Amino acid sequence: MSTGGPVRAVRRGPEAARVAAEQAARRRREQKILLAAVVALVVLVVGGGMGLQAWRSGRAPSTGPVPAVADVPQTVADGQPLRFGPAAAPATVTLYEDYHCPHCADFEEEFGDVLSGAQTTGQARVDLYPMSFIDAGSAAAANAAACAAEAGFGQAYHLGLFANPTLEWSDRQLVDLAGEVGGQPGGAFSTCVTTRAKSSWVTSVNTAADANGVEGTPTLFLDGAPVPVEGLTPEKLQTMIETATPGNG
Amino acid sequence: MIARAPSRSLPTLAAPWASTAARWVLAAVFLTAGGLKVVDPSSSVAAVRAYQLLPAGLERPVGWGLPFVEIVLGLLLVVGAFTRVLAVVAAVLLAAFVVGVVSAAARGLTIDCGCFGSGGTVAAGQTRYTGEVLRDVGLLLLAGWLVWQPRSRLALEPLAPERADILRSEPALPPRSPRRPRLEDAR
Repeated sequence: MSTGGPVRAVRRGPEAARVAAEQAARRRREQKILLAAVVALVVLVVGGGMGLQAWRSGRAPSTGPVPAVADVPQTVADGQPLRFGPAAAPATVTLYEDYHCPHCADFEEEFGDVLSGAQTTGQARVDLYPMSFIDAGSAAAANAAACAAEAGFGQAYHLGLFANPTLEWSDRQLVDLAGEVGGQPGGAFSTCVTTRAKSSWVTSVNTAADANGVEGTPTLFLDGAPVPVEGLTPEKLQTMIETATPGNG
Repeated sequence: MIARAPSRSLPTLAAPWASTAARWVLAAVFLTAGGLKVVDPSSSVAAVRAYQLLPAGLERPVGWGLPFVEIVLGLLLVVGAFTRVLAVVAAVLLAAFVVGVVSAAARGLTIDCGCFGSGGTVAAGQTRYTGEVLRDVGLLLLAGWLVWQPRSRLALEPLAPERADILRSEPALPPRSPRRPRLEDAR
C-alpha cells in the first residue's frame, strides 16, 4: 500500500514530495469512498434486519401440528388449566408455558410428539397453564387460547401458537390463526379475542402458578411430581409416562 | 509521523497486543449478545419495553435493530476495521446500557437486562443489577482503552496509512544519514 512513499519524500527533493502529496490525496479519497461504502453497508444491514424482524413479528400465522385427539369444547374455570386429551387417561402431564417464551417453543418442538403420542394411546392427558409474564403478546395469546378451548379447538390452537414463536400476537394474528388451525375465526371467537374476554382467567392462571411454586417456563409435572426439563429427552419422558402409576396426583 | 527512538520498550510492544485482546473480547460479547437476541424479535422488543424508558414508537425499532447493530459492530471489531470509531460507538452503547440498568434499579423495576436475549420482568429476588453494571463498566473500560490505543496487531485497519510503519518492528523512518541509503531500502 504505502510502502516507500514517505521514505522517498524524505530522500529526494520537491519532485518526490509532490508525488507523495498526490499519493496522500488519492489515499484520502479512497478512504472516504471506503468509509462511505462501509457506512452504507451497515445502514443496509441494520435497516434490512429491522425489516426482517418486522416481517417475522408481523406476518400472518401458519398452521401448527394437528392434535392427536379431537378437540372438544371445554369450560374454562378460574385457576384451572386448559385440558387436552382423553379425560380418563391414567397419567396427567401438567405444563406451565408462556406463548412468548422461546424455551417453551423449543420444548414443544422437542417433546410435542411424545405428548401427542401419549394422548393417542390414552396413556396421558395434558393440563396446560398458559402463563403470561413476558409481554402483552403472552397475555393476548393466553386469552385467545382460552377462547379457542371454549370454542372447541383448544389444542389445535395451542399447537398453532407455539408453531409461530416469533409472532407478536396482535389481535388480527390471533384471529387469523383460528382459521389456519381449522377453528372458527369469526363472530364469537373474534369478540372473545379482541375484548380479552378471558382476562380474569389469564390472571388467575398466573396466580395459580405462583401458588404452585412455578417460577419459570417451561415447567413440567407428571402426576403432580416435578420433572426437571434440564437433561430431559423425549425417550426419557416417554418412559416416565409409560411407567407412571395412576392415582399419584 | 515522527521517527521515534529506534529501541522499542516493552509497553510499546505490548500495547498493540492488548488492543487486539480488547477488540476480540468486545467483539465476542457483542456477537454473542446480538446473535442470541436476533433469533427472537418479540423477546428482544419485550426486553426493551421492560425498561420503560423509550417512547412506545421506538421500542420495536430498537428491539429489532439493536441486535443487528451489535452483530455488525462485533464483526468489524473482529477484523479490526475503523477501530477507534467503533470503540467510540461501543462505548456509547455500553454507557447507554449502564444508564438503562441503573435507572431500572433506581426506579424499583425488577427486570433482567435482556443483554443476552430473554429479558423482561423477573421475580423481585432475581435481579442481578450489580453484576450487569459491573460487566458493562468493565467492557466500557476496554472500549475506552481502544479509543486511546486503537492500533492493534492482526487488524485490517483500512483507514490507517501509517499502519505498515507502526506494525513493522523497525522504526518507521531510517535515521537520517549523510551517505546514500542502500540495500535495506529496496524492500
